[in-house]
Amino acid sequence: MDSSESGEDINGRVERDGDPGGSSGQKETSTADMLRIKQQMSNQCFEMEVHLNAGKHRRSCSTSEAERDYSDHISELERVKTLQFNQTLALHRMQMWHAMEEKIKINDPESDALKVVNERCMALCCQIKQIQQETRLLQDEITELQKKRLEMKRLTHDKMKEMEDLMSSKEHPDTEKCKAALEKGQKNLEKYKKMSIMAQNVLRGILLACKINWLDDPKLRDVAMTLEEFPITD
Amino acid sequence: MSRLNPFAKLPGLNAASVLLVENEEHFQQSLAEALVKETSVTVNVRLAKSFPLPVENDESRPRIDLVVFIINLTSELSFQSAEASLKYLEPGYFLGKVCFMVSNARSSSVPAERLDAVRRLAASLHCPLLFAEDQTQQGVTNAAERLLTILKVAAGFVPFTTSLCLSNLTRSTLPPDIDQPSFD
Repeated sequence: MDSSESGEDINGRVERDGDPGGSSGQKETSTADMLRIKQQMSNQCFEMEVHLNAGKHRRSCSTSEAERDYSDHISELERVKTLQFNQTLALHRMQMWHAMEEKIKINDPESDALKVVNERCMALCCQIKQIQQETRLLQDEITELQKKRLEMKRLTHDKMKEMEDLMSSKEHPDTEKCKAALEKGQKNLEKYKKMSIMAQNVLRGILLACKINWLDDPKLRDVAMTLEEFPITD
Repeated sequence: MSRLNPFAKLPGLNAASVLLVENEEHFQQSLAEALVKETSVTVNVRLAKSFPLPVENDESRPRIDLVVFIINLTSELSFQSAEASLKYLEPGYFLGKVCFMVSNARSSSVPAERLDAVRRLAASLHCPLLFAEDQTQQGVTNAAERLLTILKVAAGFVPFTTSLCLSNLTRSTLPPDIDQPSFD
């Protein structure tokens, strides 16, 4: 660990990770390391290139416009990145399958083990498929039953409503008709009662005024008796 | 006023350089130790308290791939010092080569406005914001791991990914309710 001098109140210290074998100048680097370093350098060069080219396409626009463009670019970038990732995965899958194919073609103990595993996978897949089909059938049945139940419920509900309507509506129209008839009848009764009372008063007056002897004549006597039953009203 | 330029020097072969800037100079030490444990690449860690960096070291300083500002939320000075240091960086750094790391975010003595201010700063600069726990060894290791991921991309070790690309996918955004008062 070397330390450099500090200036006023600012310290700068360097810690260097010492590599296990060899000085910092010459190292034993394997091919993989060299490739890695090459990639690192190309990455850095790319960054510097980007920065150099950044100033070339300038246009003046407001900050809000820049923000909007920025978010558009970001989403585009993310979309392309996911696309590339998925495609890489697909490529890897294809490469792996190809390698497995090649391996199986050669007949050696490893490929036998691979074949056994392959067979087991296929058997399990068939089983899975079968079970999935059964599940689907059962699910369909359950849906059917649920639909029937719902239908039943709906019918029951309708019937209950009908019954309630009937119960409540039965008395109603009858009582209405009865009431109307009743009222009319009563009015008529009153009217005729008054008429008959008036007629009876008139008859009584005539009998009294003309001094008719009603005891002797049976028919007259009956009529006069009935006069007594009705109260003398005004 | 000399600014730190991301492309002024040539990149190191199979090496990545990170600059940890922290006002308190407390977390950066343990973080640095955890970072150099990485074996697949040579990680150079430089520590600084704030910008501007001393001119004497300009020659020996390698090209810095990633600048990490460590902000301790319990002190206001930390945040202000980080903010003041920002103007000593070339704009080229803010395209993915700057990262903010915040410690002690769970402490109850931290006012909510400070975290909001840090969030706003990170969101306005389109930089990733990492939260670290510096009290335990496990927390330090986790923080170092996350930093290494970003560092590897910044140094070009991840094929087909540049730091600009990564920063677009990991940039910090403001939560929509940042202006509403919090529950405490």
